[in-house]
Amino acid sequence: MMTLQHRASTSASRGRTLASLASVLVALVPHLVGAQSNLSSQGFGYPPGQFSSRALGTGAAIGEIDPLSPINPATLAVLGARTVYFQAQPEYRTVTGPGGTERTTTARYPVVFGAIPVGASWMISIGSSTLLDRTAATTVTTTVPISSTESEVTTTSSKVDGAINDVRIAAAWSPTSWLRAGVGAHAIAGHNRVTLEQTFQDSIQFASFTQQRLLGYGGAAVSGGVELVSKNFNASLSGRWGGNLHLSVEDTTISSGRVPNRFGVSFAYTGIASSTIAVRTSHDSWSALDGLGSPGMKAVDAWDSSIGGDFAGPRFGNQIIFLRTGFRMRTLPFQAAGENVDEKSVSAGLGTQFASNHVLADLAVIRAVRSADIEASERAWTISIGISVRP
Amino acid sequence: MLRKFLTLVTAVAAVLSIAACEEKLDAGSECPLLCPQQATQFRDTTLDAIVEDTTVVGLPPIGSEASLMLSSHGDTLETRAIIRFDTLPQTYTKNSLDSTIVNIDSAILVTPIVRDTLNPIKVPITIEAYNVDPGAAIDSTPADTMTSSIANLFTVDRLLGSKTFAPESILDTLRIPISTDTVLDRVRNGTKLRVGLRVRAGVGVNLQVGTTQAANPVTLRIIASKDTAAQAVVVSPFSSTPANQSFLSGPLADYTLIIRGATPGSPDVLAVGGVPSRRVFLRFDVPSRIVDSTTVVRASLLLTQFPNRRVSPRDSFYVFPAAVLSQATISNVTNALNFLGPNGQFGLDSLLLAPGDSGVKSFEIVGLVRTWKGQTVQTSPRTLGLRSGVEGSLPGEINFFSTRAAVGLRPRLRITYVPQQNYGIP
Repeated sequence: MMTLQHRASTSASRGRTLASLASVLVALVPHLVGAQSNLSSQGFGYPPGQFSSRALGTGAAIGEIDPLSPINPATLAVLGARTVYFQAQPEYRTVTGPGGTERTTTARYPVVFGAIPVGASWMISIGSSTLLDRTAATTVTTTVPISSTESEVTTTSSKVDGAINDVRIAAAWSPTSWLRAGVGAHAIAGHNRVTLEQTFQDSIQFASFTQQRLLGYGGAAVSGGVELVSKNFNASLSGRWGGNLHLSVEDTTISSGRVPNRFGVSFAYTGIASSTIAVRTSHDSWSALDGLGSPGMKAVDAWDSSIGGDFAGPRFGNQIIFLRTGFRMRTLPFQAAGENVDEKSVSAGLGTQFASNHVLADLAVIRAVRSADIEASERAWTISIGISVRP
Repeated sequence: MLRKFLTLVTAVAAVLSIAACEEKLDAGSECPLLCPQQATQFRDTTLDAIVEDTTVVGLPPIGSEASLMLSSHGDTLETRAIIRFDTLPQTYTKNSLDSTIVNIDSAILVTPIVRDTLNPIKVPITIEAYNVDPGAAIDSTPADTMTSSIANLFTVDRLLGSKTFAPESILDTLRIPISTDTVLDRVRNGTKLRVGLRVRAGVGVNLQVGTTQAANPVTLRIIASKDTAAQAVVVSPFSSTPANQSFLSGPLADYTLIIRGATPGSPDVLAVGGVPSRRVFLRFDVPSRIVDSTTVVRASLLLTQFPNRRVSPRDSFYVFPAAVLSQATISNVTNALNFLGPNGQFGLDSLLLAPGDSGVKSFEIVGLVRTWKGQTVQTSPRTLGLRSGVEGSLPGEINFFSTRAAVGLRPRLRITYVPQQNYGIP
């Protein structure tokens, strides 16, 4: 019989049923591989959202009208000039549960792309954004059954590196001042490098081992979007239609699913000079990934809604400092311990331009609380820094 | 003010971003609640995987022992140590000048011994040194190592000297004075000095004497003058016979001579150690589906020991499993056992056993079994040798049942492995 030997439970007050469930899991699951030990990166990982730092500063409320967020291809038309964009987004995560409190740091680089104008009314771009980031590592010491009569204390270290990325080639067309439209072709690609190391307390009898496996992902999708622009309002909608998505190991297809469809819409008030107040909602059909994982993995279709604003703030010399804030709530794609994981976040940000407006810098700070109906919760600080250069 | 604020915010963001480049990912306190992944399944199986097992007597060959076995167990066992000084110097150094040896003040056999902490000697012992140079009649023939030729030379008239040692004085080196007249005669005439050591005690004793093989041989220390300025002449063992066959004569500089108690091998017994020393050869046939397609985490060679109470049944020593490093082209088992890897190679661990023990003994050989993965039996034969850690040095013999024994007593191989699995898929 297996017994977990990490930190003892600090509380038994929140639901004996869940505690019992955990005990049953401890007893039934002889050993754990590729574990996450957090709420956000269950299943195939955490979706950063494919938003720019600017959009994240508003809680992603302006995501559908933000040309630096690779969501709505129609918004590319706003760029108007050659642009290169890069984004860094570290997350400092704290998970609290019966086992205590753990802090981790994850480095992410969720968006990179370039765009170039073609003719007077076309823009094309190519870029990559993180669809699902699965980076996580765990170390667990357990007593596992070796045979019907023997058990052995083992320490298992499991690490997963990598992500499923969305590589998009998109074109936007702006035939009139009030209409922008765009289409995109997506290659869903990426890999997870899964490393499993297992050591035994009895190193005389047993030899430790390390296994490594590279899971590859390949799929396709198309997207489209429109943006209707008036003097004081902006309405945008976009969608992505997913094709097949395959998981393979060394050229052998292990499982298949579909790239999740996504539909998003936003309304923005732009009646204040250089400012935007927006609401947005989108729906992701994450359950399309169910076939890609093990039978026990459960992905759920989810809404992602937010409200926020991007305001022209004080001037810094000749430059306007943009101040942003927003609130966002969504359900994360993958269940934890059979329960949906919700995320609520507030964000603040600022942005400005440098070098004769050739460089745009955006900063967002996000405080997120992730919870499920289980005896564990997660909080995170995320800092998003985006730099766009217009040569 | 605003400039300072922006500068501060930018600096903080930059620092945090750079710091985050060094990820800290390790977690796990919420497993298994938040780690709903598939399990690592261990499989454990015991196989009749030994397809060949045999004992080879006489390994290591004469003169190749790590130490000489000097044993006395009455009618059960009697061994002697032979040290050859076939070349003796005829000069000594005094005041940086070489002088011819015309007189010998003292001649001492400086005898290093291996201190046996597991089985210390608890009674006084007497070591006698004999002149065992057979003379011109047989010393140039292969017969000069034959027991029948040498054993008869341990006679009173050939006694060179003896000394009795109290148990507490048996530490690392024993000094045995021998006849200066005999040594001087050999020096002057340029003839060989061959010494045979014999141990006597009130009970059975075993003494391990240093050898040239271990670079710790018995040496002859000659003081040729009472003058304190005269340097001692230290003579190391050297064998000049068989002539012109240094490959054979080299090991014979010092060797163990078995007078009484040599036992033959038995096809039904796997024996390690003993007199003469013997090794075990095992060949395995492990299914490729296990060796090549899984991760083996434990491989235990299970041997059933039965008691051997003939000599020193309670004196325990280590038995080492060792990889046979020869390829399959070496089909002769004796030759193959001459290519055993060093003790501890591949993480192979020893067992401390006493000849009088019994029961199932488990040799952990997972490190060796893992080397078979992906290798053909031609390049990496599935073979293993067992040898005593004191082979040729102590008489203890460990006996195991072979594959010819009853079913429940035969050697087996227990393997614990992790099958290939779809790990990593959430």
